[in-house]
Amino acid sequence: MTSTLTKSILLSGAFVCLISAPSYAQTLTVALTADIRGTNPGVNRDDDTDTVTLHMVEGLVAYREGGTVAPMLAQKIDKSADNLTYTFELRSGLTFHNGAPVTADDVVWSWQRYMDPKTDWRCRADFDGRNGLKVESVEALSPTTVRIRINEPSALFLFSLARTDCGSVAVIHKDSLNADGSWKAPVGTGPFKFGEWRRGQYVLLTRFDGYKSLPGGLDGYAGGKRPLVQEVKFLVVPDPSSVKAGLVTGQIDVAEVLGSDVEQLKNERRVTLQTATTAGRNALLFQTKDPVFSKPEMRKALAAAIDLDQLVSTVSAVEAKPNASTIHASSTYYSAAQKLTHKYDPALAKKLLAEAGYKGERLKITTNNRKSSPSFNIAVVLQAMFQNVGINTDIDVVEWATHMDRFLKGNYQMMVHSYSARLDPALSFEHFTGPKAEQPRKVWDDPTAIDLLTQASRIENDVERQKIFDELHKRMIEGTPLLMLFNRVEAWATSARVSGFVPWESRARAWEVSVKP
Amino acid sequence: MLRFIASRTLMAIPTLLIVAVSVFVLIRLIPGDPATLMLGDLATPASLAELRERLGLDRSLFAQFGIWFGHLLVGDLGQSISTQQPVLPLIVQRFWVSAQIVLVAVVCASLVAVPAGIIAAWKQDSALDLALVAIATLLLSIPTFWLGLLLLLFFGLKLDWLPVVGYVAIAENPWRGTLYLVMPILTLFLHEIGVLMRMARASTLEVLRLDYITHARAKGLSELQVLTHHTFKNAFGPTWTLIGLVLGNLLGGIAVVETVFTIPGLGRLLVDAIFARDYPVIQGCMLFVAFVYVLVNLLVDLCYPIFDPRVTAQ
Repeated sequence: MTSTLTKSILLSGAFVCLISAPSYAQTLTVALTADIRGTNPGVNRDDDTDTVTLHMVEGLVAYREGGTVAPMLAQKIDKSADNLTYTFELRSGLTFHNGAPVTADDVVWSWQRYMDPKTDWRCRADFDGRNGLKVESVEALSPTTVRIRINEPSALFLFSLARTDCGSVAVIHKDSLNADGSWKAPVGTGPFKFGEWRRGQYVLLTRFDGYKSLPGGLDGYAGGKRPLVQEVKFLVVPDPSSVKAGLVTGQIDVAEVLGSDVEQLKNERRVTLQTATTAGRNALLFQTKDPVFSKPEMRKALAAAIDLDQLVSTVSAVEAKPNASTIHASSTYYSAAQKLTHKYDPALAKKLLAEAGYKGERLKITTNNRKSSPSFNIAVVLQAMFQNVGINTDIDVVEWATHMDRFLKGNYQMMVHSYSARLDPALSFEHFTGPKAEQPRKVWDDPTAIDLLTQASRIENDVERQKIFDELHKRMIEGTPLLMLFNRVEAWATSARVSGFVPWESRARAWEVSVKP
Repeated sequence: MLRFIASRTLMAIPTLLIVAVSVFVLIRLIPGDPATLMLGDLATPASLAELRERLGLDRSLFAQFGIWFGHLLVGDLGQSISTQQPVLPLIVQRFWVSAQIVLVAVVCASLVAVPAGIIAAWKQDSALDLALVAIATLLLSIPTFWLGLLLLLFFGLKLDWLPVVGYVAIAENPWRGTLYLVMPILTLFLHEIGVLMRMARASTLEVLRLDYITHARAKGLSELQVLTHHTFKNAFGPTWTLIGLVLGNLLGGIAVVETVFTIPGLGRLLVDAIFARDYPVIQGCMLFVAFVYVLVNLLVDLCYPIFDPRVTAQ
């Protein structure tokens, strides 16, 4: 009798445990600060959208850590002697989420869809000749071979194919579209499949059991990408305090946290913290068309007034390091020449101010109040440093949309701006180098620099490119059209049950990550 | 009564029209547009122009307003620029999420605050009155986001009783759905208690000083009869008006509470839309909020005669 009762109790207990077991035991919950914009790769996107989408789709090539590009769906890439034809051999045995094999025809169809204006692909202008590079043809030579021909040699062609904001030019299946040609949901080749999107709440992805991973471990968006968890739930949590609470209670497994929260979370035993330097850059921009800042002496005076070490240690709660180069320190192009920087010299600053004819007029620093950016704090410290040498400044704090409007129109005197990450140095310099008359967002309107950059975009030889980038950096320091300050350092927190998560370039990657039940 | 409803409804039309025009113009006066944000810091003038053309932002303000207003007249609030969803279903869906929190919180707060206010007034200057006034002032003074965070810390982190992030619809899972709503409702409930209790106390005090109350007492009526039959009905009017205003105001958006508790409600939709410069959603939300405000206040006015027979629809 007793034995039967005990068994019943144990069985009931087991049953209760079974039905009450958290449904997220095999679910990795990743916090997003905002809902995604869509699931169509490279269309109506932002960083969070790319993060989610690139778990489901892949392109022929992908970014590696360190900023180089590696084959992804392609097994081999051959280039013709004239550098105009690229032949991609697809990896064998690849399938889409619906089980269909990946063929060269799918690559061609996907490309044609991207180049169709109706798709609204944001990168079309970068491949149709409007910005120089033009893809002249994409052909399927065999079921596993694709040939792409471009109009001019380009060092950036493969980088452009790998661009995350272009959705890595993902190869998708026709089932991604509705019968009328409108977008339905991605049927791609990534390690996770589309599950459900509850607008304003979460996006649920499920493991793609047929995923054929590349060998090796994590390597940017290339490398090994085994899906180790059953589901990934990208949960929208806009408030940083709620993110912290979610991490501590285990309701969130992975989240990027504010630098200001790092100290507090360090003491939390249920949370593991990691920091990583990204290619995102914090910079002080000068409007060189402004009467005050058209004088190089004035710009150099401000550069000499900045104690970069002190600035970085004051505004960054995590271990950021000064970097006056636009090339990030982990890039293969970060040479000794890139370490050239302005020297902190208040006496020199005062002398240059006198030479520039500065008479104490008030100057304006425009910045923004985005929580994820240190821009406002940078502006406050800069204001104090400028005051120290007799420069009077006011800080104009605006919200992000207004900041971007002014940035794109060049409507500022000085601006503290955070440039998004660009992994190749040519793309990184392109962010701010160019003719202001055509693109007001450009900061550095120097014909020699523009010419050097054009060369760097065409030449593929690493040694020659390195020389150009070193020369560009030297000229940038001399001309001082802007001051690169430091690279963004991201802080990520994971709950105690997570293993294998490694932050990279502000992107959560759910592959190669496992959770304890 | 029907004439009253009809006239009030007609009066709402110019209000909504003014809201429609002013929101349409004001949001476009703020620098930055959806194209700027969608293309980010790599935007070129050509790509901006192309996107603006596709979004119809290159047309004149009058043309844009004409198109939007034309659709509005047939009940179409347009399509979200950010998510490509039709605006009206999006707003209705988010509104119900906010409404269930607001309605429960305001009803519960009224049920607690009105009797507490009447008792505080009845026992004016007593220890009980002082305590109730102090509580009301305290609750009123605490910002809702901070109160929400305190509840989050206590019930979510310390006690681990309630989920701190996420949302489940009650229709989908009643038990879990309720758990997700407890803290947001409690936050609003506590805050609104302070607002309503002070009004209930003040209006009761005013009535208690009137001659007919003295007369009722002189007739030998019990204090309970004086309070329920003579004081409450006459004192409840201003509080009822305030309940209507509070309800209209909260139904229009509890963005802060929704942000703290990750509730996908109307307030968060509106705030997100403003930051994304999602014009159709902003315009739709503001118009909807104004409509709800007008409707709630109309309903409040229609209910007046129930509490005070002197007030009629005429």
